[in-house]
Amino acid sequence: MRITAEEKNATRRRILDAAVELFRTHGFDATTTRDIARAAEIATGTLFNYFDTKEAIIGQLASESFGKARLAFAKQELQAGLDEELFALVVAELRQLKLLRKFITPLLETVLCPLASARRPGMDHSLRVEHLELVVGIAKRHGITEISPVSIQMYWSIYIGVLAFWAEDQSPKQEDTLALLDQSLRMFAAWLLNSAGESQ
Amino acid sequence: MALNVSELLTALPQETDEITTPVVTGVPALLSRASYQPVPVGRIRRLTALGTLQAKIAAAYLFHWLRGWFKSSDDNQRLLAETHWRTALRVLDSMTYLRGAVMKIGQTLANFPDIAPVAFVDTLERLHFDAPPMHWSLLREMVHNELEDDPESRFASFDKQAFAAASLGQVHRARLFSGDEVAVKIQYPGIARSIEADFRNLFLFLLPARLSKDWDSTKDQFDDLRRRLELETDYELEAANLQKARALFHAADGIVVPRVFTQFSTGRILTMERLEGVHITQFMARNPSQEERNNIAKKIVRAWYRLMYSGRMLYVDFHPGNFLICDDGRLGVLDFGFIVPLDDTEWEWFRKIDRPLTTGLREDRLPILKAWSDIGDDETERLRLNDEYAEWSWLSRYRGGEFDFSNEAEFRRGINLFTEMVRRRYSRARPNTPTIARGQFAWWSILFQLKAKVDVRSIAEEEIKATGWDRSEYTPREVQEVQ
Ligand SMILES: Nc1ncnc2c1ncn2[C@@H]1O[C@H](COP(=O)(O)OP(=O)(O)OP(=O)(O)O)[C@@H](O)[C@H]1O
Repeated sequence: MRITAEEKNATRRRILDAAVELFRTHGFDATTTRDIARAAEIATGTLFNYFDTKEAIIGQLASESFGKARLAFAKQELQAGLDEELFALVVAELRQLKLLRKFITPLLETVLCPLASARRPGMDHSLRVEHLELVVGIAKRHGITEISPVSIQMYWSIYIGVLAFWAEDQSPKQEDTLALLDQSLRMFAAWLLNSAGESQ
Repeated sequence: MALNVSELLTALPQETDEITTPVVTGVPALLSRASYQPVPVGRIRRLTALGTLQAKIAAAYLFHWLRGWFKSSDDNQRLLAETHWRTALRVLDSMTYLRGAVMKIGQTLANFPDIAPVAFVDTLERLHFDAPPMHWSLLREMVHNELEDDPESRFASFDKQAFAAASLGQVHRARLFSGDEVAVKIQYPGIARSIEADFRNLFLFLLPARLSKDWDSTKDQFDDLRRRLELETDYELEAANLQKARALFHAADGIVVPRVFTQFSTGRILTMERLEGVHITQFMARNPSQEERNNIAKKIVRAWYRLMYSGRMLYVDFHPGNFLICDDGRLGVLDFGFIVPLDDTEWEWFRKIDRPLTTGLREDRLPILKAWSDIGDDETERLRLNDEYAEWSWLSRYRGGEFDFSNEAEFRRGINLFTEMVRRRYSRARPNTPTIARGQFAWWSILFQLKAKVDVRSIAEEEIKATGWDRSEYTPREVQEVQ
């Protein structure tokens, strides 16, 4: 029996929706791929045709949220400072990722991990690459035409640090994450603008 | 003793390397703090141009003031005190949020014309207005989190630039879809919880100073400040105070407390009716006539008594930024973050002291002061000072008739008494007393700034009568004694 692309997409969606629901009610760790398959009304074997691992499901969910966030960010009109624009980008992502907040840690440990490229060269880096391309674009708009690998790595460490803090943030409405993001981006932006000034 | 800012800054103790030692003892505390609160590195950099100067000035004044308390101690003790203060300042420099606290001290000190010349008050206000520390994207996120939608959707319009700084955040102009013009006060995220932690840390550093005999009075001041900041971070409490206070005033009073829009307010955001007007310093800069000044002063006095007698709320935060002289002539009373509520016990005391303190007779005052401040029979000096301070602060009230608040000598007498009270911790007996004493002092200092002439007594009597308080029993005794 041939499966149409449409059917395939529908199954994919069912898996993703079932997974979010289960992660939310039982937590990421307590949920097995078998639970997800059952909730999506497919055989466990079939699930693996779509996603290799639970992490891959999170990755897909996150990737969709990142996509939405980028659209929202692109629609905003900004004439602000470098730190503010970076801030706006990250909070747009956090808003979309809100439902996934508690389960984002596995992503931070894998595809988004600052060490990932060295450890697992075969990994899908698209999430990171897309985000960093936006960052480079923002920096350009603020007069920084060349951004060094060191700066990029530094930015990425801050960014992942903030996401990790956010995933565990116990403060009301995660307000501490806003403060951390604000302060670390100010620091990064000031440093970037300073070093750009020095090298010229 | 007129000091200018640069003199004060040079009066600040020099920074030396010896400071590193006490810092080490504080590391565990700082680390434990870091576990739930980010160290605000970026902000410090940003504040270098604006806030730090202001904080430094305020700190310099505070230091100057503190040093005054040690005047009588021997050199060693004074040196020790300076070392601790220097250390504390260093630490302070790493604590963004406490800067807010220092600015508050600055404002309190602005009420001391002796050490805070007009130039200082002006500088403070200007700096205050120029420093919007939250950018629009952060603000937008705060509004989104607190009011469940973006400012663009929740408000008909919302100014991206703050028009005023609050001690813990900033104030923006906005318009509701109902057409109401509002002022939206927004707190920097997490600041409320950070203040508590900052104070704990600062205290660790000040701890070695506790052996000095002035420690208790220093601690009183810090406790007062801490209490103030804790209350001020609670915008829900402030909203409740505003609503209660607002209901006490009517159109005929020419006094207005801004209306709160509760659907647009949370613990972190306070949306109020926006009043258009000028602060007292700007008002004075226009060279208003004696009559104009008197009118404003009368309203301030009336507002104070109304809040106290009808509202049982003691308004103690008399800094000039908290009053707006509206374009339509009304007096706007802002900032209900710090109010001392008079509970039944406290209120009973207020009733009890009212008569003895308003006859102007020493023999009436002494017994009630002894009871109020729990002064023993052997504490003659303490009794004398308490009595003189009470006599001074109730002077305009018991004398009656137009009282001339521009009298500088009289005001200076009060400064000296107040400073002496603080230094010797003579007002310590009841938890609110230092706050009340400060409130009385600040009240006078506002009227002094206005150079006003006011019949305080008649306003007080009107306000008391309006509460239905039967004071007929006073008259016969008073008449009897005056004869
Ligand atoms: N309802 C209002 N209408 C017009 N201006 C207002 C209003 N509320 C506040 N402001 C402006 O904002 C300033 C700070 O507000 P407010 O005093 O309430 O803040 P705060 O956090 O208590 O700060 P501070 O203790 O430093 O005064 C005021 O001095 C005033 O200029």
